Amino acid sequence: MADAAAKLSLEGVASGYGAINIITELSLAVKAGEIFALMGKNGMGKTTLLKTILGLIGLRAGAIAVDGRSIAGASPASLIASGIAYGPQEQALFQDLSIKDNLRLALRSDRELDNGLDHVYGHFPFMKERLAQKAGTLSGGEQKMLILARALMLKPKLLLLDEISEGLQPSVVTRIANALKDERQKNGTTILLVEQNLDFALGIADRWAVLKLGRIDDEGDVAPEARQKILEHLKI
Amino acid sequence: MAERRPSSFNFRALILAGLAVLALLLVLFGPMFLDRFTLNVLTRSMIYAMLAITVDLLWGFTGVLTFGQAAFFGIGAYAAAMILTHMGASPGLIALAFALAIIVPMLVGLVVGWLSFSYKATPLYATVISLVLPIVTTQVVFSGGQWTGSSSGLVGYGTLPFGLVGFFRLAGVCLLVLTVAAWFFVRSDAGKLLVAIRDNEVRCAYLGLNPQRLKIALTTVLAGVAGLAGFLFANSSGVVAPEITGFVFGTELVIWTALGGRGTIIGPVMGTIGIDYLSANLSGELPFLWNLVIGTLFVAMIILLPNGLAALVAKFLPARRGAGAMRLTNLAAAGAQVTAPEEAALLSVKDLGKTYGSLKVLEGLDFDIRPGELVSLVGPNGAGKTSLMRCLSDGTEISSGVVRVAGQEINGRTPNEIVALGVGRKFQVASVFESLAVADCLRLALAARHRPSPVTRESDLALPTAALDILRLTGLDHMLERPVADLSHGLKQSLELAMVVALEPRLILLDEPTAGLTKTERTTIGGILQKLTRELGIAAIVVEHDLDFVRTISSRVVVLHQGRLVLDGTVDAVANSELVKTIYSGGAHG
Amino acid sequence: MIVLLDIVTTAAILFVVASGLLAIFGVLKIINFAHGAWLTLGGYCAVVTTALGLNPWTALPLAFVAGALLGAITEMVIVRPLYRRPLDAILATWGLGIVIGQLITLWFGRDVQFTPNLLSGTVDLFGASYSIYRLFTIAAALIIGCAFAFLLEGTRLGLSTRAVIMNETLARALGIDVARVRLITFMIGTGLTGLAGVLLTPLTSVDPNMGVGWLIGAFMLVMVAGSSFAALAFACLIFGGAQVMVSTFVSPILGGITVAVLCALVLRVSPKGFSRG
Repeated sequence: MADAAAKLSLEGVASGYGAINIITELSLAVKAGEIFALMGKNGMGKTTLLKTILGLIGLRAGAIAVDGRSIAGASPASLIASGIAYGPQEQALFQDLSIKDNLRLALRSDRELDNGLDHVYGHFPFMKERLAQKAGTLSGGEQKMLILARALMLKPKLLLLDEISEGLQPSVVTRIANALKDERQKNGTTILLVEQNLDFALGIADRWAVLKLGRIDDEGDVAPEARQKILEHLKI
Repeated sequence: MAERRPSSFNFRALILAGLAVLALLLVLFGPMFLDRFTLNVLTRSMIYAMLAITVDLLWGFTGVLTFGQAAFFGIGAYAAAMILTHMGASPGLIALAFALAIIVPMLVGLVVGWLSFSYKATPLYATVISLVLPIVTTQVVFSGGQWTGSSSGLVGYGTLPFGLVGFFRLAGVCLLVLTVAAWFFVRSDAGKLLVAIRDNEVRCAYLGLNPQRLKIALTTVLAGVAGLAGFLFANSSGVVAPEITGFVFGTELVIWTALGGRGTIIGPVMGTIGIDYLSANLSGELPFLWNLVIGTLFVAMIILLPNGLAALVAKFLPARRGAGAMRLTNLAAAGAQVTAPEEAALLSVKDLGKTYGSLKVLEGLDFDIRPGELVSLVGPNGAGKTSLMRCLSDGTEISSGVVRVAGQEINGRTPNEIVALGVGRKFQVASVFESLAVADCLRLALAARHRPSPVTRESDLALPTAALDILRLTGLDHMLERPVADLSHGLKQSLELAMVVALEPRLILLDEPTAGLTKTERTTIGGILQKLTRELGIAAIVVEHDLDFVRTISSRVVVLHQGRLVLDGTVDAVANSELVKTIYSGGAHG
Repeated sequence: MIVLLDIVTTAAILFVVASGLLAIFGVLKIINFAHGAWLTLGGYCAVVTTALGLNPWTALPLAFVAGALLGAITEMVIVRPLYRRPLDAILATWGLGIVIGQLITLWFGRDVQFTPNLLSGTVDLFGASYSIYRLFTIAAALIIGCAFAFLLEGTRLGLSTRAVIMNETLARALGIDVARVRLITFMIGTGLTGLAGVLLTPLTSVDPNMGVGWLIGAFMLVMVAGSSFAALAFACLIFGGAQVMVSTFVSPILGGITVAVLCALVLRVSPKGFSRG
């Protein structure tokens, strides 16, 4: 079933907490080098899905494959070592640690530190001067950029981002969008965005899907008519 | 045989009744064939078994790991021995010794309970105190000079004039009475409170019960029981020594209880008698090896079989079933449940703020809610919805501002006090008692107002009409004896809702009541909510993400964003608001 | 002045004894109730080195290695299944303590063993003579404290460890091998406790129960200190000081329970103890 060209494919996936299945029978394929936007309202299972892919929550049914190989049961540590990176939404930084230590924690060895830092400075030059600053003292926008920077430290092949644009000013959203486009262009990174910010998501994604009650409700290519269609799904 | 299956409950009760009679016979006629050594050891073992029951009630049933029962035992024993040594052993003084051996430990127990169980104290803290108590007690005994006999203890005082055989029978009868009493208590409606506290203390508080006070009362009473055992010990052994007050003895009690099987009554009794008796026989020949075996068994048991040998035995007994059917009846409405005549606000929130350290999660919230209103609370993740619910149901969470329920300020009040004002809270993840049956959960919802029986499990369950309706709509009324752990997620949500409604609240707070439910289940819950508010005049606040669902149930929507109230209006006004659209498409900031 | 020295050296000894327990509790949130057994194990390492005719100081590395190895087995077999049942972990490690104590008894007998003093003699200070070894414990406490500070602040392992302490979920999501961090922490904690056992030998007699008496004091100090070594040092000074004062001016027996009682009261007033700084 797995699409040969798919970087990430999910087939009939179910997962959740305790007695509850948040995700039920979810199938999805993200092609290599693609930016894919997964939209949906709160509580529809977007974060649960990312955590399931990364092995932080156990897979209860179905199959998940990266590059066509099943990753069921793999530990988060081994998945990250194989080139997956994750930018969580909530409590995503060590507030009491410096920018530098937060970035170091993406690595398993300090030998990769200089390369990683150089790579990150390319996207966000401001970090170079402020390595010793505590993450908790950064502004909201800077914190989000740090979350993204940390995820990019190892130049991942597959990047999972949870609401990276949440609560940000348009100028910061633009910087993050540029960094993502740039990263994809240079390194061919596959990016799965979980988003509620429609403008941001449609601005950079190739394809989209809407998640509702733990399943994919609708999906399609990013095209002019997509906006209205998604708004119908997200309507309030 | 297929037609009338004999109730296996009765079979089980029959076994236990048989055991009790057998035990009584052993106690009465044992002295005729047991030698002196055995009688001596068994007398001690049976007294220790009484202590094991108290440890088990605290730890196995209520979930409070305690090493302190040894101290209460020691205090009781010393209180008796000191009277008998320094004042004499006339009948009057023996009676005094008996009274003090129970009263003094109870007073100490009251203080220890008050120290151990405060609102928001961690479970570990009670264990910490239970470690300090025996250490302090032992040191006090050591520094007591001739009053306590210091390190050599007290010996040679006058005792009850019973002799070896008499004490054996006395200890046996006391143990038997305590065992039977405890056995009935833990199966009674009041006894279910212990398991409820172990399972879910938060839910107990939100049913209007005061778990802290219950645990203090339990500690006090069981300290008295331990003191009684101490009195028996001081009399039957004729000697008290500092070791019996100590921490190491306290850990031994826990080990015996664990090996026998925590959470059962028979297990710890058998465990204690068995191990203490074997120890006395074997430790002469292979003292260290025996302790090594016990230690190893204990470690293995904790890891692999946390419920002890009794759990293993129970597997081979027929499953326990309810005795007869539980009958649902209609509880006469306590107060007149009519829509409030005046339009006074039931809930009034003024300038409410909540901070965690320097982080402001709620700021300057103002709104009122009148009886019969169904208000939906919406907002993106992190908007402060759950924090608001917490502030409305737990006054100690409020950082600034004033919240009033029916005119009474709730700032600083604990959840059980706020429940008494008529506020019921349903949590996002169904908060019920996993180890109990459906009927027990429902009865606990009434326990704050109708004192449950400490002896029997009643077969009538009288609930308010609204709660009965929920049970009938969801089919829970046919599952009253079903263990909660076996219910589906949706049924657990419905059960929790029924429990909250059984409190007969005036205001009900619901945090995502439909999360993870099927479409049918959502519709059922929606219908119930509408009935509660429209027909019974209960006010409700519902946190809900799904605006389609909100539209079908709600009269009014309040929108939170970044800790502030940004909109308060009808469903349509909110749905058409540009601001809300921006918030939900991610553009809003500041 | 002598009282002041007593206070500082008592605090130093308490710090040495409790630091291994703190390392484990800080990261794993598990209380190693076999802590006393590891102290005893350390004491018997000193006995063994003496019997082998080795330099008494070689007992230190021996105890560290023995303690850490036994710690590795314990973490994998006993503690790992119980992370979600912290109260049961207390019981299981207490049971382990009994087992270790009985094994030592079977091997060495229950008699008191004597070990040569690591440093003997006294030094004249403020017009009175004072034990050199007690002064040395101050140095030992400082070395252990600084070693921990360096390990936590200056190494990669320390960074991962701090990440696990601060936010275990996030640490896992960044690919940190939390199980490995726990194992290494447990080994360091138990190794250090073995070492502390050796350091105790000149101060107490060595017998199969030598560690049990220290367990409660160390446990209470750790409860108050939370996961901070600075808070532990502070708690040792305050409560160790109180212990010396009570022992000197009131009664040595009551002095023995000062630490436990004061810690319990502090925890009642402020459930987080000194850990918020």
